[in-house]
Amino acid sequence: MEKQDKASSKGSNVGIGEYQTGNLQISSIGLGSCVALILYDRKLKTGGLAHVMLPESNGKNDRPGKFADTAVPHLIHEMEKCGSSRKDLTAYLVGGSSMFEQFKGNLDIGNRNIAALRESLNKMKIPIESEDIAGTSGRSVFFFPKDEGRINIRRADGKCYEL
Amino acid sequence: MELNDLQLDMLKEMGNIGASHAATSLSQMLMSEVDMTVPKVDVIDISQISEYFGEDISAVVVFEIQGEVQPAGYVVYHVPKSSAIRLSNTMFGTTDEDRELNELDESAITEVGNIMISHFLDATAELLGIVMLPSPPMLAIDMAHAAFENILAQVAVDINEIILFSTELKSKNNDIESTVIMLPYDDTLHHILELLNNLINPDIGGGTA
Repeated sequence: MEKQDKASSKGSNVGIGEYQTGNLQISSIGLGSCVALILYDRKLKTGGLAHVMLPESNGKNDRPGKFADTAVPHLIHEMEKCGSSRKDLTAYLVGGSSMFEQFKGNLDIGNRNIAALRESLNKMKIPIESEDIAGTSGRSVFFFPKDEGRINIRRADGKCYEL
Repeated sequence: MELNDLQLDMLKEMGNIGASHAATSLSQMLMSEVDMTVPKVDVIDISQISEYFGEDISAVVVFEIQGEVQPAGYVVYHVPKSSAIRLSNTMFGTTDEDRELNELDESAITEVGNIMISHFLDATAELLGIVMLPSPPMLAIDMAHAAFENILAQVAVDINEIILFSTELKSKNNDIESTVIMLPYDDTLHHILELLNNLINPDIGGGTA
């Protein structure tokens, strides 16, 4: 299996379990059961994105972006370090689909990720502005904090739209 | 997870035996020659998976490995969309390539995957002297990365690096590219390494590999 050309994923791609903050384009390609947790600071026009794979960390903290319950507080903390104030943050969730209808193991991981993120955001009092979640189709997400926090989504079936 | 050279060699040899059986069965189904690359064993951080499986739409056929050790891991047959259409065309004797994958294609690809992966696991299990059987196939036609996320959510809960076995199978005549991938759980990998080690260091007699 050859490595694919990096140019195919323009901008900086946030891999599984990673996170990134800033005001330039942040993207995450091929979201399946994973969920992109996006925070946008409407005052500073900056943002952050975490590529969350699982709902619960069960005490692990080596990769805060990997789990819903650690990603939310960590991403908020990272944004606060860059000058954001919690009251200016809004959240967006993208992903969490079930790719295989027949998949037996770890039932419905996509929906569990979504539920865990909602709960965690609720706890931190961050409102969810909009979501594009669940379903059976993969998605790529492109987030432009500088451009009023625009979020573009490209779905596996070819549909492109703005969240 | 660190693997030494000997362990890598053993795993590659195991992959070689499994993949060559899969290649033979594919070659029989397509009634043409199938070339196979040297099996690769990569240790990959989960954040880097997108460099191997990107946004391109693919047919991804997934099998859970069942048998003695459970859960053992997954075997995946990955075919990029254009190759998947040509694979199906070859099976049905049709020629239209400029189209989407339909239900007939989906069942053809699932069945080809099913036959190949059965051979792959049979040969691997026989070498190791254990029972490994594929679960019924699960198919997704989607971004390859998105499909792999579901599997990673299973095998990479406690670990951040996975061992990816991959072998490319190509049919030049029909312009078909595909990859057979095995993603074992960490425990399974250790068990496999132990069995392989016993194979090359037997008390009596020579190795089989």
